[in-house]
Amino acid sequence: MKLRSIFAGALLALTAISGPALAEYPERTIESILPAGAGPALSVSQIIAEAMSKELGVPLTVLATPGAGGIKAFQTGLNKPADGYTIIDGYVAPLVLQPILKKADWNFEDFIPLHAAASNAFAIGWRTDETRWSSFEEMMAWGRENPGKLRYSSGQRNNLPHLVMARVLQSYQVVAQNVPYKSPPAANNDVKSGILDFAFVNVGNYKQDPEALKIGLVLSEQPAAKAAFGGAPSIAEIDADLGISGLAPMGWDWWLVKKDTPADRVETLRAAMGKAMNDPDVRAKIERMGFVPLDWDHTNYVEIVSGVRDQLSTMADAIKWEEDALKAVK
Amino acid sequence: MIGSLKVGRRFAEWCAAALMLVLVALVFQQIRDVLAPAGMAEGGPYDNAAAYPRGVAMVLLGLVALQIVVQLVSRGSLNERGFRLDRFTRPAVIILIFGLYLGLLGTLGYHVASAPMLFAIMAACGSRQWGQMIAFSLGISFGLAWFFESQLDVVLPGGIFNLNIPW
Amino acid sequence: MFDMLLNGLGLVASLSTVILVGAGLVIGLLVGALPGLGPLMGIILLLPYAITFPPVQAMGFLIAIYVGGSCGGAISAILLRIPGTPLAAATLFDGYPMAQKGRAADAIGIAISASAIGGAFGGLILILFSPSLAAFAAGFGPPEYALLAITGLTAIAAVSDQSMLKGLIAGAAGLLLATIGTDEFTAAERFTFGLFELSNGFNIVAIVVGLFAISEMSSLLTGDDLLKRPELSVARPGFRSAFLVLKRWPNLLRSSTIGACVGALPGAGGVISSFTAYAVAKTFAKPEERYGEGAEGGIVASESANNATAGGALVPTLALGIPGDAATAVLIGALLILGVFPGPTLFAQHSDIVGGIFLVYMLANVALFVVGILMTPLFVYVLRLRKVILIPTVLLLCAIGTFAVGSSIFDLWVMFAFGFVGLILRAGGYPLAPMVIGVILGPLLENNVRRSLLLSNDGLQIFIERPVSATLLFINVALLICVAVFALRRLTAGRKPDILQGSA
Repeated sequence: MKLRSIFAGALLALTAISGPALAEYPERTIESILPAGAGPALSVSQIIAEAMSKELGVPLTVLATPGAGGIKAFQTGLNKPADGYTIIDGYVAPLVLQPILKKADWNFEDFIPLHAAASNAFAIGWRTDETRWSSFEEMMAWGRENPGKLRYSSGQRNNLPHLVMARVLQSYQVVAQNVPYKSPPAANNDVKSGILDFAFVNVGNYKQDPEALKIGLVLSEQPAAKAAFGGAPSIAEIDADLGISGLAPMGWDWWLVKKDTPADRVETLRAAMGKAMNDPDVRAKIERMGFVPLDWDHTNYVEIVSGVRDQLSTMADAIKWEEDALKAVK
Repeated sequence: MIGSLKVGRRFAEWCAAALMLVLVALVFQQIRDVLAPAGMAEGGPYDNAAAYPRGVAMVLLGLVALQIVVQLVSRGSLNERGFRLDRFTRPAVIILIFGLYLGLLGTLGYHVASAPMLFAIMAACGSRQWGQMIAFSLGISFGLAWFFESQLDVVLPGGIFNLNIPW
Repeated sequence: MFDMLLNGLGLVASLSTVILVGAGLVIGLLVGALPGLGPLMGIILLLPYAITFPPVQAMGFLIAIYVGGSCGGAISAILLRIPGTPLAAATLFDGYPMAQKGRAADAIGIAISASAIGGAFGGLILILFSPSLAAFAAGFGPPEYALLAITGLTAIAAVSDQSMLKGLIAGAAGLLLATIGTDEFTAAERFTFGLFELSNGFNIVAIVVGLFAISEMSSLLTGDDLLKRPELSVARPGFRSAFLVLKRWPNLLRSSTIGACVGALPGAGGVISSFTAYAVAKTFAKPEERYGEGAEGGIVASESANNATAGGALVPTLALGIPGDAATAVLIGALLILGVFPGPTLFAQHSDIVGGIFLVYMLANVALFVVGILMTPLFVYVLRLRKVILIPTVLLLCAIGTFAVGSSIFDLWVMFAFGFVGLILRAGGYPLAPMVIGVILGPLLENNVRRSLLLSNDGLQIFIERPVSATLLFINVALLICVAVFALRRLTAGRKPDILQGSA
């Protein structure tokens, strides 16, 4: 009897101090689920999270959840309640690319957008003492003469850089072998030591040692991306028309919450993220990581993301083309 | 009486060998029924996800076979001490409590489930100082919650009641 | 080099740096000692706080967590037979028996001193050889990593002692468990049974905590002294434990070198180095040292190696901008946020920052010794707890610590399931550590073998054409022959049941 009353008392006290309906949102730690492991993307998300945390007055932690090309993080987020305490860091791969590749059954419109976060451009680079070619067009010519001989890395297989690079190679009818690497810096290292012929390079890795790799082609037509890679030639300057522009060939993320999240909580989060993304200090930190802070708020979400989806959909066959062509060469 | 039955190293060795055989069998079953139909069990290193696990499974199978032979051959040479089965009652009860706790953690949440779990394990260990047990259970569960939630910003399971303490 | 350190001194010499390093160490020791959380999670959780400071101070704080966390796991391994982090799995072999003999404080003192000295040695290597070591590491490609993984696997033979066959079985099972998840090459899921929670494989922390903690708690529970206060006279550890470590200087030097070199190879990591160093130390040891029964040398080897690995891992991180392990990947992120780009340019343009980071790393190791020894009585107090309190508390800690790593209840079930695996294996006389080695080395082995074959069009010549790879291949063959000869000698010595049956 005595025992039970003590326990009941403790429970009552607990409910009193944490009854979710009574208190003002947010009242406890919010989690943002990132579809990547430790690396630059984690740092960028932590910068934004820290700034939002100051706005909201509660901690906002980033949970690095790699696995299955980002699907694990999305699933994890979708399995949490729609109470505004879980943010899904909507990177393009799980948000748009995986549904196109039929690996995920959601649509980008199944989520409520908060604000766009950051984008990062990719480029193709090879080692500085390369003697077989000195420009991208020359490398493509070499590749056409030696089908199946070129070895490159896009990081993981079937990721966004792979799709874009396969599309570029397809438009030149060059058959090359992608060698998957979990860590992009490791792939870059193997390019430098001559094991690979070329690899995708992101701005952060390029900036750490601009002398180590020659940037042959920036995979974005945007002037800012070209500038970030030291003015290297971009896809706007090559002969082939790839039909990709804007955010489509880049990595980017848009912070999202689950459908059914209460509207007032969504507004609170949107306001906090909007402020964070406009903070000059936050922008400067993101830019130092080699990422570009994005200005779009939730009103632009459908337009921007559907544009990317439409472009990526037209490219979806490039990876399949590469696989078939490789088998034919062998 | 079941309690007076003796189990020992020999029994555990057979269990371990069986566990390993199950692992090997699962690998082969998955390769045949899941990877092969998906085209992931053929081709070169780029496309074949089954070759390496199959190779390791074969090695494991060989090693387990050798181990089983050793177990058969060394029968009798091993001085089997054995333990009376009733010695394992307490660990079994406590593992059961812990399993129950893990099962209920997602539903009840950390703050509701933890103190009773601590209390129950203390009781299963034979303690009968009820007041002290309650104090320890509440103290330990809330103390650890404070450290993890307020110092490390970890969100502990809230359960269906969404109980989380805003420290 | 000297200029670099001198320039860096200006950035380090402040009270706030010392306080940050001290705070980082306390946090690191705690997250390391608690089962589950480890240095990586500690760094991730505190990065937002760290980046509010200038670069060198922020690095001091984060590096201190890294250093403290790499050592903290030893404390729970020694006291509870549960490695607080996978890094400490090799410390358990001698640390726990030593504690059982009433020398817990000495064991922890040795672990902390060896960590501090090994870490400082790794730091010296970092300072003296950073550029050349980085160049050496940059030459490592897929074939070399594949062979390195095999070298690591031979450590199984040493750590499974008298039950080599069982050790190999546990190791092979570990390799298989590591194949669960998303296959890096086909980008498709493998052995996940349709569970998205398995799409990144089992969480290694859940495996380690489950294997060791549940079986250990169960074995404590079979005792009859659950309610009694342990009558243990626990001596205060003194700063003299440093002498116990320094007395074993050849072991210390050798293990630290192994640690620093393995650390310098991106992706290899502290688990490999601590097991390898332990295996080597045991091979060189005299029989009367009785490794596995509480030999001081065993703790010295594994702890100096895993902390030297932290120093080694900073080599490619700073000199090449390639993270040495997951924890240093987060450190790179912190540096980038603060506007510092690790890589050759950093050495050329901001040598003061490089010097400053070198110095805070050394400071962290020196401070680890002081803070660690001062905190030891607090940890050793655990041994005075009655088991009726200790057991439920440890089980709860295992649950929250494992949950906190991925915020996943599924991981808790993995831990629970591996608890049963651990129980069965331990009861059957199987060593548990080889399974951990297998799980850690599995991806390194599989992915680099497949990458090598992809690069060479399925030819095996890639393993002999490259000089470093050929050398490693030679070393591996020599090691395997040694292991085989060793096993045969014992067989012919008529101790067959020992080799094949082993001890628990």
